[in-house]
Amino acid sequence: MSTTLGRWPAGKRMAFVVTVDFFDDAAILVQEPRMAGREKSLSVWQYGAKRGVDRLLDLFDALKLRTSWFVPGRVAQTHASLVQRIHRAGHEVGNATFACENFDTLTLAQQGDSLTRTQAVLADLIGERPTGFRAPFGNWAPGFTQHLRDAGIAWSSSWRGDDLPYFHPGAADTKPLIELPLHYELEDEPYFAFNLFPPIPVGQPRIASYREVLGNWQQDFAGFHRFGLCLPLRLHPEVIGTAGRIDLLREFLVGAMAHPDVWFATGGEVGAWWRSQHTGNAPGHPVDVLAPLHQPSVS
Amino acid sequence: MNDSLWPTGVQSAVALAFDVDGPTGGAMLDGSIWRNPSFFTLGAYGPWRAVGYLLDLLDDHRIPATFFVPTWVLETWPAQIKAIVDRGHEIGYHGHQHEAFWQLTRERQQQVMAQSLALFQRHLGLAPAGFRTPSGDWGGDTIEVLLDAGVTWSSSMRGDDRPYVIDHAASGRRLVEIPGKWELDDYASLAYQRAPDYPAGLDRIASYDTTFDNWRREFDGSHRDGLCLTTLFHPKVSGKPGRILLLERLFAHMRAQEGVWFARCGEVAQWWRERHLSAEGTA
Repeated sequence: MSTTLGRWPAGKRMAFVVTVDFFDDAAILVQEPRMAGREKSLSVWQYGAKRGVDRLLDLFDALKLRTSWFVPGRVAQTHASLVQRIHRAGHEVGNATFACENFDTLTLAQQGDSLTRTQAVLADLIGERPTGFRAPFGNWAPGFTQHLRDAGIAWSSSWRGDDLPYFHPGAADTKPLIELPLHYELEDEPYFAFNLFPPIPVGQPRIASYREVLGNWQQDFAGFHRFGLCLPLRLHPEVIGTAGRIDLLREFLVGAMAHPDVWFATGGEVGAWWRSQHTGNAPGHPVDVLAPLHQPSVS
Repeated sequence: MNDSLWPTGVQSAVALAFDVDGPTGGAMLDGSIWRNPSFFTLGAYGPWRAVGYLLDLLDDHRIPATFFVPTWVLETWPAQIKAIVDRGHEIGYHGHQHEAFWQLTRERQQQVMAQSLALFQRHLGLAPAGFRTPSGDWGGDTIEVLLDAGVTWSSSMRGDDRPYVIDHAASGRRLVEIPGKWELDDYASLAYQRAPDYPAGLDRIASYDTTFDNWRREFDGSHRDGLCLTTLFHPKVSGKPGRILLLERLFAHMRAQEGVWFARCGEVAQWWRERHLSAEGTA
């Protein structure tokens, strides 16, 4: 266990970052275009703005927990006062593109526009430029890392590939971009998102057992705690912020907070800490293996 | 025990096996993975990080295992794969980029085997005797390709709960097959990736508790009936921080039983060959 000593500040054993994707109906419209105009189905996702955000803010307030939210520019325009409330409550507000565009379908320039447009909207709204970014569908084009740094983004939580933070290559400045990698098993959406038609998920499996999902999360936490890792929880207000599921989240977080050696921090804090402690990735890191092959197409 | 399939004192065999696929497979073969960083990094987690957790766990329980490694993974993370050998485990062929053998010409299958052999020799100084077909399915000429490549055993099929012999009638040569089961493939319960979607239809990640219970029952039945259990576990799927604890429970449960022979697939194949083929003198 000696390798994990000193990995985190103040003798903490692991880092725990609660992140919330406040996407309203933006992501689902991109993921499933047949949603357009279907008010009942869309209202499943709009429930987040109506009730879920408040329920999450109340829970985080009760637990004195500061968290990291990702908001698309368009959602910030639609729900300006809600986003300001999230910010005033002490949470970090990050950039999640303008309309949850699937970056796989955009050019690099279009991706850059979506990013900077959202930086402007959010800066207007909360009085500071976000330093965190999440690509809603997980990918970006070669070269986009430099756009992120130019826009003032210091950390991202979009890719996968590790259970500790890592450095993105390709940002040619003294403050490389830090990634807090995700894990599907630490997201609420793969377990709970549902709609009958259009079918979400595509094969329409049953909604997972709440009790068993809590069991999975608790076991995932135990593993991250044992190995001294960085656990990013990825939540959606419309998914986890229901009257029944908020208790599942409360039980999970209260259980984790009972460990005094867990560092609950925002993504920005974890990114800054990692940058202060490391200068690069261990040799052979997945992101560095990918880098030479994830290059602009020559055409 | 007088009709036991196994050496004296052994009630059943457990040949744990892991497919260290990493990011190889269809998306690498068609090149799309280089535009899908999320999927690439998800796969790379296996050899990059999870193999280390698994090796520690196998040490803790003193269990030898077999690792099937596409040689693209070996080339990319040679130190991680060398650690598998250094810690007493066995390496088997698994294609270069996880090619689906049943879709390849005979010549292409031969090329993949030759390329793999060269890379195993260069990086590890060894020539595997065992093979697990990527995707499992074989073409009509696969058995001959394998025999010609010096492969003596395979763990590719599904159709039994103990080893069996696959004949190549044309040449009279034979392979020992150690079949796996979907029930002990972690993809069937725990894999998840949105684009491309695995599993297709995006079924939920199963409960770890009920997955453990399924796997434990499969082992209990296999042990009771004196069979051979192997696994199709993937470090990127079940070698993750929370799921290592599931494997830990499973290994502890198996370790607590008497008469379990924990062996590498190659040892099981060797026994089967001696026990069931030597009388005919055709091994």
